[in-house]
This record gives sequence, C-alpha cells and structure tokens, in this order.
Amino acid sequence: MLANRYRTDFLFRICAVAMLLIGLGTLAVLLIDVLMDGAGKLSWSFLTSFPSRKPEQAGVLSPLVGTLYLMLLTAVIALPVGVGAAVYLEEYSKQGWFSRIIEINIANLAGVPSIIYGLLGLELFVRAMKLERSLLAGSATMALLVLPIIIISAREALRAVPPSIREASFALGASQWQTIWNQVLPLAFPGILTGSILAFSRAIGEAAPLITIGALTYIAFLPDSLLAPFTVMPIQIFNWVSRPQRGFHEVAAAAILVLMAVLILMNAIAVYLRQRYQKRINL
Amino acid sequence: MNTTSPMAFQIQDLNSWYGERQALSKISLSIPEHRITAIIGPSGCGKSTFIRCLNRINDLIPGFRVDGQILFKDQDIYRPNVDPIEIRYRIGMVFQKPNPFPKTIYENIAYGPLLWGARRGAELDAIVEESLKKAALWDEVKDKLQQSALALSGGQQQRLCIARTLAVEPEVILLDEPCSALDPIATARIEELLLELKKSYTIVIVTHNMQQAARVSDVTGFFLLGELIEVGETRQIFTNPKDRRTEDYITGRFG
Repeated sequence: MLANRYRTDFLFRICAVAMLLIGLGTLAVLLIDVLMDGAGKLSWSFLTSFPSRKPEQAGVLSPLVGTLYLMLLTAVIALPVGVGAAVYLEEYSKQGWFSRIIEINIANLAGVPSIIYGLLGLELFVRAMKLERSLLAGSATMALLVLPIIIISAREALRAVPPSIREASFALGASQWQTIWNQVLPLAFPGILTGSILAFSRAIGEAAPLITIGALTYIAFLPDSLLAPFTVMPIQIFNWVSRPQRGFHEVAAAAILVLMAVLILMNAIAVYLRQRYQKRINL
Repeated sequence: MNTTSPMAFQIQDLNSWYGERQALSKISLSIPEHRITAIIGPSGCGKSTFIRCLNRINDLIPGFRVDGQILFKDQDIYRPNVDPIEIRYRIGMVFQKPNPFPKTIYENIAYGPLLWGARRGAELDAIVEESLKKAALWDEVKDKLQQSALALSGGQQQRLCIARTLAVEPEVILLDEPCSALDPIATARIEELLLELKKSYTIVIVTHNMQQAARVSDVTGFFLLGELIEVGETRQIFTNPKDRRTEDYITGRFG
C-alpha cells in the first residue's frame, strides 16, 4: 500500500521533470539554431551600421535605436497612466457594479490581439491626431497595448500592501494622498516594476501593431525627434527573414540575438531595481 | 463615577452598522479626561467597533455608518463640517497588531510630525527623542535609530507605535487590544507606560484581558452583543457589578 503510494509519487515527479525538459529543450534548440546561424555575424560594426541591400554590410543600428527609443517612450506614457488608473481603482473608487465592469473590461483588453491595438493606433494617433508614422504614434500605440497588463499588475501590488499600514498612516492624521504617496506606493513599487517589465517584454517583440500604423521597414538614419519616422527590431527581423538570400537569414539570426540581449538586459535592470528597493524596505 | 473630572468624550445614543449588520446599538457613555477608560467584553461584542468610532478610522471601511452623537470636547465629531483628518490628528490610535512602517525607527516617529509641517533637523531630532523617551523605548533604541523598525521585538514595536502616536501630540490615545500579541513581560511594560501617560493624556483601551482592565483602568465599560451593559468606576465594576451579565462575565461564567 505504502510502496504503491511512493511509486505514484515517483511517477508524478518524473512527469513533472519531463514537462520541464520539454519547455527548456525547445528553448535550447531554438537558441542553438539561432546562435549557429547568427553568432558569426555579431560584431561591433553590426551594431553600428545601418541596414543595407548587401547582407555582408547590413547592421541593426536604426532598428536597435528605434526599439530603445520606442520602449523608453512607451514606459514614459504607460507607467504614469497605468499606475494612476490602478491607484484610482484600488484606493479611491467605491466597490460596486461600475468598478466591476471596469475590472472585467481591463482583463479582457489584456487578451485583445495586438493588431487590433495597431488599428486603433492608426485611426486615433496617426490619422485623427495627425502624428503620422512617428515614434510618438508608435509609442502611444504600444502604451495602449501594455496598459491593461500594467494596470492589472499594479492593482495586485497595491492590494498586497497590508491594510494595517494604511490604518497606521491614517491614524496619524495623514490624508489619503499622503498615505498613498508615502506608504503605499513605495511598498507596491517592486511589484509594479515586475509586472511592468513583463508587459514591456511582450511589447518589445511586437511587430504587428507597428506595421499596422505604418512603421517603416528600411531606415538609413536615426530618429531625431518624437515625430520622426522609425523602425524596430522585430520589423527588421521580419523583413530580413522573408528575403530569399541566404545571407539575410544570417543577418536576421544575429538581429534576434541582439533583441534577446536587450530583453535580458531590461529584465536584469528590473531585478536589480527590485532588489535594491526591497533592501531599502527591509534594511 | 467621579463627576468632578471634565469629560473628553460624551457619547449619546450611538448606533453603527457594517452594511446591514448592526454592530452597536444605543451606546451612551462619558469618558473622563486624564483617566484610563477600559472597554471589556467577549469577542464580537462591538468594543473594537466602538473605539474605532472615536477617531473616525472606521470611515475607511466601505459600508460603515453611524448615527447618534459623539461629542469630543463639546464638538460633534460626525458633523459634516468636521474634518476627520484633524480628528485623527487630535485623537491618536494604537492597533492590536504592532504595525510599524517598514522604515527606520527614526522615520517611523518622524512621519507624523512631517505630515504636520515639522522640518527635518534638530527640531525633528528632538521630537523623535522625546517621543521615544515618553514611550520608554529610548534607551533600547537610541543607538539604532537608523535601523529597520521591523527588527525590533513585538513589545518594542508596540511601544514604537505608541511613540509614533505621541509624536503628533494628540489629546487622546486610543488603544485597541494593544497587548494581545505580546508576552506577559512586554504587556507589563506597556501597562506601566499607560499609567505614566495618563498624567498627560486621556486613554481609552479595549482589552479582552480582564486582569489588565482591573490593573490599569479607572473606569470600565462592559459591552455585550453591541450594547453597553454597564459602566462605572473600575473597582465597583469588578467588586460589585450591578448587572447580572457583568458579574457572569467577570467571574468567567461566559466569554
């Protein structure tokens, strides 16, 4: 009887490990494949050259800079709006049918295909607000895309702050704003950061909404203002992959490696900030 | 009751509800200045609800409402033109579980004065030191003001919370079962402290520990099922209760 239970336990463990290996294995194969194709192309000049008609001269300067600018601007737009909305929903709004409807809608928005946001961005930012195919229009569209995820994760982080901390602050005669700004937000910050980075990690790989609003695929200059045209890594990769020449496939693989490095760097910064903040809280 | 001492609170026909559920009914009682008033009663009798009405901290709970009158120094604190923030500034509160902010000891004490316009520097340092001294915590923490408040023991944390309350110089200190999470030695220290503090402050303490009420309080009120059953001098309540239910409770027949 007991031996039987141990056997079940053992079998379950094997299954769990197998599932893990499937996930990791797929990732490893992908990575190795890309590395074999692209590692040879990686060099300083690859990072500092513009895309070119000739694969041996092509680089990722403009899409790389475009991606960095775009993500920075997206964060600048989406973070205040998202955190502000979450603070309102968690701290100020009365719980009722209205806030429940908002809640359900935000959850649904998080699942809307990204190309739909592209269509919205095209109508709203590119045409109605006449921002053209600019960096600003692209960032605003991306901000829409990540907003639901930021709002949801920020709300969760705010909800995780113990009510006793709020009470302690109110009992000293703090206003709601003082309580939120001095006590609640600093405690929620690491959680908000984690959620936001997940959201930006999704956005950095998106090509569809930016293609929809008309981001360019070939640029031989760097965006010099918020209203300048731009391109990003995923669009450039997509463009290279779909070309017939073998050389461009290698360039595409190398660009994928660069994109992954940017992603890892972003995550590393988030982890660092989170640790630092956590340490400041725990001292 | 000693009728010569002035009253801090005069409560008339206080009712309160959480949504549909009534938590307090027809509470009328006066709380004297510079005395310790203890509120006792079994769990769920409304004693915490009652004390949380006195500084309007229950305003934060959705669905909570009150009617009746709470006069604090002849001002009805539930009148619409009264600012609850000012009420909470004048009437401090210490909670059941020690709830220091996850910051340094210094910042915990400094938070209240900073909210109310104190400037950083020597003036604030003095407030911090004085508050910690009043709460009998200074000697234990004077060398680690910049360390996390969370590193203190439970009893120290609770005294820190008392010091934090004292730092904004309230007129009243409300304590909601302040010792229920503490061991007997830490409890004794808090009780000593309360006896010292009553010289300068009006104190209201909710406790489920009858010995504690008997040891520290001057006036005791007994709550049962949302009603005030009896209130009087502590000695009288514990030696010669007028109501049968009070007697049953203090002799341990229920509760």
